[in-house]
Amino acid sequence: MNMPFDPSRRIFLRGASAAAVGIGFGPSALMSRTAQAAAGQKVFVQVFIRGGVDTLNMVVPYGESAYYDIRGAIAIPRPGQTNGALRLDDTFGLHPALADLMPLWSDGRLAIVDAVGNNDLTRSHFDAQDFMETGTPGNKNTPTGWLDRVLKMMPGSSVSEAVAFQAQLPRSFMGPEPVLVASNLTSFNLKVGTNWRTEAEAALRDMYGSRQDAVGKVGRETFEAIDTIVRSPVLTVAPGNGAVYPNVSIGTSLRQAAQIIKAGLGTRTIFVSVGGAFDTHSGQLAAHQTELPRIGGSLSAFARDLGPLMDDVVLMLVSEFGRTAFVNGSAGTDHGSGKAVFVMGGGVRGGRVLGTWPGLASSQLYQTRDLATTTDFRDVYSEIARKHLGLTDMATLFPGYSPGPGVGLLA
Amino acid sequence: MGLSASELARKTALHALNRLGFGPRPGDVEAVLDRGVEDYIRKQLDPAPDAALESRLAPMQNTLRLSTTQVLVTYADSGNLASSVQAYLDNFQNAKIIRSVHTVNQLDEVLADFWFNHFNVNINDGFVRYAIQSFERDAIRPHAMGKFADLLKATAEHPAMLYYLDNYLSTAARTVNGRLVQGLNENYGRELLELHTVGVDAGYTQADVYDAARAFTGWGIDNTGRGGNFRYLSTSHDTGAKSAFGLQLSAGGQKDDGERLIKYLATHPNTARFISTKLARRFVADNPPQSLVDRMSEVWLATDGDIKAVVKAMIGSSEFWSEAFSSAGKPKTPFEYVVSSIRAVGAEVSSATRGVGAYLSQMGQPMYQCIPPTGYSDSGAEWLNPSSQIYRMNFALDLAQGLVTGVTVNVRNFALGADLNSPSSVAKAANSEVFGSTFAPSTLAAASRVDTRITNPSAAVRVSALLLAAPESQVR
Repeated sequence: MNMPFDPSRRIFLRGASAAAVGIGFGPSALMSRTAQAAAGQKVFVQVFIRGGVDTLNMVVPYGESAYYDIRGAIAIPRPGQTNGALRLDDTFGLHPALADLMPLWSDGRLAIVDAVGNNDLTRSHFDAQDFMETGTPGNKNTPTGWLDRVLKMMPGSSVSEAVAFQAQLPRSFMGPEPVLVASNLTSFNLKVGTNWRTEAEAALRDMYGSRQDAVGKVGRETFEAIDTIVRSPVLTVAPGNGAVYPNVSIGTSLRQAAQIIKAGLGTRTIFVSVGGAFDTHSGQLAAHQTELPRIGGSLSAFARDLGPLMDDVVLMLVSEFGRTAFVNGSAGTDHGSGKAVFVMGGGVRGGRVLGTWPGLASSQLYQTRDLATTTDFRDVYSEIARKHLGLTDMATLFPGYSPGPGVGLLA
Repeated sequence: MGLSASELARKTALHALNRLGFGPRPGDVEAVLDRGVEDYIRKQLDPAPDAALESRLAPMQNTLRLSTTQVLVTYADSGNLASSVQAYLDNFQNAKIIRSVHTVNQLDEVLADFWFNHFNVNINDGFVRYAIQSFERDAIRPHAMGKFADLLKATAEHPAMLYYLDNYLSTAARTVNGRLVQGLNENYGRELLELHTVGVDAGYTQADVYDAARAFTGWGIDNTGRGGNFRYLSTSHDTGAKSAFGLQLSAGGQKDDGERLIKYLATHPNTARFISTKLARRFVADNPPQSLVDRMSEVWLATDGDIKAVVKAMIGSSEFWSEAFSSAGKPKTPFEYVVSSIRAVGAEVSSATRGVGAYLSQMGQPMYQCIPPTGYSDSGAEWLNPSSQIYRMNFALDLAQGLVTGVTVNVRNFALGADLNSPSSVAKAANSEVFGSTFAPSTLAAASRVDTRITNPSAAVRVSALLLAAPESQVR
């Protein structure tokens, strides 16, 4: 009657994880799995900043005097000045609160693609996120998310593996492929007294196991997740190389993402959703001072933690839209268009700002108010899908769009 | 396979309790059957004073009745902020849980929840925490079954909304030495169109958003530190001509610019359709049938946006009662799951903010803390995922054992008339007295297999825990 683990009902992390389940999975097995992970299975991590972060103040075009004219009191000073930008090249500098990213930049492991967006302009948070997550801007009826389609076409396996750090299933993963969704994996377990744990779990597995509807499916997925991750030592592994993650949600998510990657469970895509004070209609400078170090610190800790394993990982950080080029009437910025995308990891041709910079002169702005879009976001997505994950069928991945060759992001 | 007449009647009563309210308390299905479903619905549409609820809330009235100014003066301005403001915030959130669990006017409470979520503000957003109590009490609740135009105007003028969507900062452009020092903030103008009225697919342009925002320049707050009241400042108003989604406002307008736009949008066909769809999604199905939305929209337009008339049309529709939507069940949101579980087990809530609040946060729906103005999703399917599910199960297990702070449980209420030493008797009684006999035999059997040799917690408590965590309890 007591069936703590039934292999026939496994849903999560099939493939490599069979040995990783249950009581027999000890630290030594974990070490050998780490070696397997190092053998080269590629992992893609997408970090999604919700709220429309103002990338014009993250990647500061200090070389353009127009920037200082239109940004006024919220402009980031030029490199070398007090609280000035950190020089990236002759045109761009990084917001000083992102200083943690500078070593990655200098080592050539972090690249930036600027003026990214799409032509189906929406300045709605919800729609813009939807379009970025389905990969079909302008079409709200796409049933699947772009990462669901990525999972479906992974070569060599009919089932691929995915983890999303968010309280709800992200649009990016909507579709038939199984996904583990959790905002924090450490509390992901049944909480019940030891004297009736076995009984409670068996009863609940029975109840959910016999149902064919969506509720039954989610119940079975829940127990599979407990089997494969929570009851394994995966989440007990400490960060490597002295990495210290900021104790905020993005830090916790990326720490657990690194633990899963190090465990070599066969996970191929990880999605991290980040909320915070990014919708800076007012008081932008102070909000960025709080939020940006969390982003920079977490990305930097992730790279340090993974060490050489980072060669098999590409991490892309995006938000739904850029913000108005002009400062608004309340020391903030309103919803805009073109934005910068950050990409780091193995194979990234880093240390450069890629894409075509459209300029900030009034005639160069989109609708005379926003940074224009010169690179469709699907060109960035597809370059990663092709060169990092080895996918070829871009017509299926991005229905109705033929991605160009990309911007030279990856070797 | 047809249901017997009595099975059908029980199912219908349960459906009314699940969809118009937060689900049955023990004995509710029988009570609705006794007086008839029509009578239950009529009373839900015409809520009467609820003295029992008021006496439950009485101990908290010292803070529940405070105006925003009083809240500010008492808590923000007194210097001893952190500890004392918590009492006000706890009472405010606790009152919502108590109302949802205990009020007889369930539909009114569900609608208050729906409208708050529709006009979302975030309690963690600075000044909003001081104004949010007044926002719900003074702007949302009085209009939950009233005219939409009144509801929209009350939210537009409320300092919580003016702050949350930045309109209090939005002014006509003001330059000093050719440099912009103050000016337009588009946030409210955009969300008014996208989220509050006509919806994102209505076809408005950036120019419409811009002029909608201009119409509300000067709508602000007297003082976010000590006042907290609405104030219109004519010197901040942009008096130029405006054109917002088809409404022409000629130059020289003042506060009436915004008022006229509110009236115009409240009865616009796109608003009727957009909000009828949302209501039907909340009450009927994640993907509501177009026929139902069309009928509700017609009523909306015929009654100038009379919410009660629209809701009545929805409840009176065949779609509302159709087998296709009722038997599939609609997954509960975390809040619906938590409240319905407390109701199902017949528990009493005294002070549940801390206890219940933590579970809701884990499930991904922290109370009053939705950051974006979209509010939480009304689509049940979006709440079904392993992360939320594990915390739902854990909540059910804790609740039944009496481990949720501020919630008192007695398993006798849940297992009315059952032999508490017999697991199958407890499961059978709960299925019939609470759940309208809708649980699968396999679910009842699984719960009935608990080991009676384990005495702490008792077999009856463990059966109730498992039934609250069961698949059937996840849907309404």
